[in-house]
Amino acid sequence: MTVAAQTLPASEAEERSSGDRQVQVTGGGRRAVLTTPLTYALLAVIAIIYIFPFLIQIATSFKTDSDAANNPVSLVPANWTTATYETLFGGGLDFPLWAMNSIIVTVCVTIGRVLFCSMAGYALARLHFRGRGVVYAGIIAVMAVPGVVLLIPKFLVVNQLGIYDTYAGMIVPLLVDAAGVFIMKNFFESIPVSVEEAARIDGAGVFRTFWSVVLPMARPAVITLVILAFQGSWNELSHFVVSAQDPDLYTLTKGVATLAAGGQGQAQQFPLKLGAAALMTIPVALMFFAFQRKIMSTAEGAEKG
Amino acid sequence: MSSRGSGNIRGRESVAGWLFTAPALIILGLFLALPVLMAAWVSVSDWRGQGSPFSSSVGFVGAENYRGILSEEGGLQTRDFGTALRNNFWYVVLVVPTQTALSLFLAVLVNKKALRGRGFFRTAFYFPSVTSSVAIVILFLFLFAGGGAVNRALSWVGINGPNWFADPRGVLHVILGVFGVDEAPGFLADNSLLSLSWWDWLAGPSIAMSALILLAVFTTSGTFMLLFIAALQNLSGEVQEAALLDGASGWQRFRYVTLPLVRPTLFTVLTLGLIGAWQVFDQIFVGTQGGPAKTTITPAYLSYTSSFLNNRWGQGAAIAFILFAIIVVLTVIQRWVLRERTTVPKRKRFVPADTAAVGSTR
Amino acid sequence: MTTRPRRHVQLALATTAALALAACGGGSFDDGGGEPEQQSGPAELSILIGSSGPAETDAVTAAAEAWSEESGNTATVTAAQDLNQQLSQGFAAGSPPDVFYVSSDLVASYAENGSIEPYAGDLSNADDFYPNLRDAFTVDGEFYCAPKDFSTLSLIINTDSWAAAGLTDDDVPTTWEELSAIAEQLTTAEQAGLTTSTEYQRLGAFMAQAGGSLVTDGEATANSPENVEALEYVQSVVDAGAWRFAADLDSGWAGEAFGTGRAAMTIEGNWMIGAMAADYPDINYQVAPLPEGPSGAGTLTFTNCWGIAAESANVEAAIELVEFLTSTDQQLEFASAFGVMPSVQSAADQWRTDNPDFVAFLDQAENAVAVPNQVGVSDVVADLNAQLEGLGSGDPQAILESAQSNLEAIL
Repeated sequence: MTVAAQTLPASEAEERSSGDRQVQVTGGGRRAVLTTPLTYALLAVIAIIYIFPFLIQIATSFKTDSDAANNPVSLVPANWTTATYETLFGGGLDFPLWAMNSIIVTVCVTIGRVLFCSMAGYALARLHFRGRGVVYAGIIAVMAVPGVVLLIPKFLVVNQLGIYDTYAGMIVPLLVDAAGVFIMKNFFESIPVSVEEAARIDGAGVFRTFWSVVLPMARPAVITLVILAFQGSWNELSHFVVSAQDPDLYTLTKGVATLAAGGQGQAQQFPLKLGAAALMTIPVALMFFAFQRKIMSTAEGAEKG
Repeated sequence: MSSRGSGNIRGRESVAGWLFTAPALIILGLFLALPVLMAAWVSVSDWRGQGSPFSSSVGFVGAENYRGILSEEGGLQTRDFGTALRNNFWYVVLVVPTQTALSLFLAVLVNKKALRGRGFFRTAFYFPSVTSSVAIVILFLFLFAGGGAVNRALSWVGINGPNWFADPRGVLHVILGVFGVDEAPGFLADNSLLSLSWWDWLAGPSIAMSALILLAVFTTSGTFMLLFIAALQNLSGEVQEAALLDGASGWQRFRYVTLPLVRPTLFTVLTLGLIGAWQVFDQIFVGTQGGPAKTTITPAYLSYTSSFLNNRWGQGAAIAFILFAIIVVLTVIQRWVLRERTTVPKRKRFVPADTAAVGSTR
Repeated sequence: MTTRPRRHVQLALATTAALALAACGGGSFDDGGGEPEQQSGPAELSILIGSSGPAETDAVTAAAEAWSEESGNTATVTAAQDLNQQLSQGFAAGSPPDVFYVSSDLVASYAENGSIEPYAGDLSNADDFYPNLRDAFTVDGEFYCAPKDFSTLSLIINTDSWAAAGLTDDDVPTTWEELSAIAEQLTTAEQAGLTTSTEYQRLGAFMAQAGGSLVTDGEATANSPENVEALEYVQSVVDAGAWRFAADLDSGWAGEAFGTGRAAMTIEGNWMIGAMAADYPDINYQVAPLPEGPSGAGTLTFTNCWGIAAESANVEAAIELVEFLTSTDQQLEFASAFGVMPSVQSAADQWRTDNPDFVAFLDQAENAVAVPNQVGVSDVVADLNAQLEGLGSGDPQAILESAQSNLEAIL
């Protein structure tokens, strides 16, 4: 609340001044809104707040335990050490194994979610079939179910299907995400129906229309979905806790959570934990940067066209 | 449109409709709906986690588990549940409006066409969202330690920061304390709800919970910013420019041009935010385990500990269902509130409740 | 034309239903009553442990392998990420591990729902266990499971700080008055004299020294004058600034505050031995018995037992395995591997010889009381711990009254 109260008037002031200037410029043109130094200053401050913690994270992973405790803000370790990374890769921790498991699970889940959520979202937004309202209400209801209520019964189902302690048990239950269906449905409803109608009247089947006309149009939403799905399955912890217990199936979240939990007689070891946390961020960050460019090019393409 | 479709097309659409939704339905049915039914049974049974909940030795106990949580005056379970609701209530009240407003604000800022370094800023704001909750909790535990980075930064401006994750004091109590109100006024101390006195309900989030609130806003604002950006990109530049040439001010453009266009997304964000905030679990599980002094237990976490650690499966499931009911009721209310506003004449008020509250602070 | 879509609707529903039925149709939803069928021939046992670290996991694995070789059975050890949660999962799925750790405060709830086999009274070494450890695992007169080892709380002293303050071996505190005086003497700008966590699992030792306990003969006695006196004593030392809680010293636990030099003394258990060696090898320390209170010596003991699942198909073999694991020799091996104390009295002398620096832990065994084990006590203790976090500025009487009413509700 306080953040909102402070930030919104600031945006207004900034927008108003840029607006005024625009009116003076007259003429319009593509480069419509000029941006004031105030905006940049504001953005820079927020950006520092968002980025600095991660710099601290990386710096601390090269510190010793006592250096981390005594100089928590410093970005330069007093005496550099790679002990964290030696422990992670050679100290009896299966860090590379956890990483591989996370990647396997995340890739499968992301592909599944994009396909199934956009199919279901499209059907709910555009296709007329008996029971559509019930299905939609069901999906909305399911979205509201607290995940924690499902922990044990979900485990019972996984166990009953014979996929407990397997990749299938870890992946299949995550393949569809009700929120993803919801997002896709909302998106399809917001784009004009005329193009696909034309395609369908041309005789294209429903699936073909979906695959070659609708899905390409839905690119911004699909990219959003990919990012959310990748991030969601990468972040998933509780499902992996109940669907497998074989140490060979530990994902990064589960492995690093074990590390974080420590236990009786273990020190906080922040450099080690922060190092592990930093490493587990790398793949998902790389994926994110790849898609970030696509988001930008999509946006610019739309502007030019 | 429907009159145009021939019977054949309608038939094909039906098949396709079910085929398209089948994978989603089967998976959601198997791993969400079916478990919900099982949990529903457990919540009215005396199952203690021994063997199958459907074996003949498990009995039906009616509302017994619910009574233990809701109406056992002075009972430990009732007070724990009250405390969990109190904690989560303040969490939601602070997180949902803040993250929504902040993400919309960031989206509007970085969506400016002439902004240099747009990609950089988007990346910066979205980055915390890609980080796993496990990783970010570890980072926050470090940043908010008593002698940690946050308190060092505060000390530069002369503030002696609290030992965040070890401080159970309620923020509102602290503020009232500054004005000399240390003791509960009689009527607040004497009345209670769920075995928790009104005074305790009014404690506000504890200082430890405040750190988790900041964590939630920090990590979710980027995700929701992306949703808003996607919506803003659908908004053609001409509309904005037309508004500009009309001489509309920044605020007017935001309120009368941008806001109506992102309304569906706003609805999505508020719904997702509300649902997510009531389910806060990972941060507690990895970070605080409910402490200090139970000020970060939430219904979701309490449900987990009741079941998995204390073998009170019935009560754990009952807590989850009460939470479920809370979320459904609030979502329905929110939906209704947002619907209602659209029928009000545009000029008067069309801003959704939460943003209206923000707007009215000016 | 209207029939076609409907047929497909039905097909889709049928598919979903079939899958749902397939999910429900298996064995574990059937009646789970009756005795589990016992297997014949060589048994395959699974052991689930809540390990303190690689040293413990390796030692238990080695022991299991030795037993497997000797007996012709196979026993495999898994270290749990979260023991209680994984056990719950195992029981709920009808496939619990055969042998596993059970802490004393949970034994009654497992006994109550029939999860664990009451086997320990029949062990050949049943009488060798310390009586107070037997009691910790006895529910309704039945000795359920064999204590695997135990720890007690002692006073851990940083000998360098000790010497720097001009103290000698004769100054080791033996009374509350001496403890508070010495804690004050050891307190400097950088170092607290004494640190502990705020939980009952530490402060309860002072209640024992004052002659109080949470439960006496099955009756709730949390608000006894003795317990109030103990907490008021703690509060007085805290008020004097000589005793600081671990969280206030930016530490995850008191051992860390001690190991990083933020406190000169702490009260912890046997696990300190391993933690100091692994994390803070440069700190010199010694272990002393806790001081005596108004009613004499007292400390707390912590112990786990080897639980055997009632549902196990190999109960006989599991009992043989536990007999092997709790044997005097094997326990001494565990002791040297990860610092615990053997639960059998016949190993005491050898342990003293092996661990001359740590005898204080074992010397206190007689005066050590376990956390009460009645069903529901763990919740009450958890709530008490939450309130004890506010002990610094709180009212001991009020804190204990609330624990009292919680206890009365369950006893």
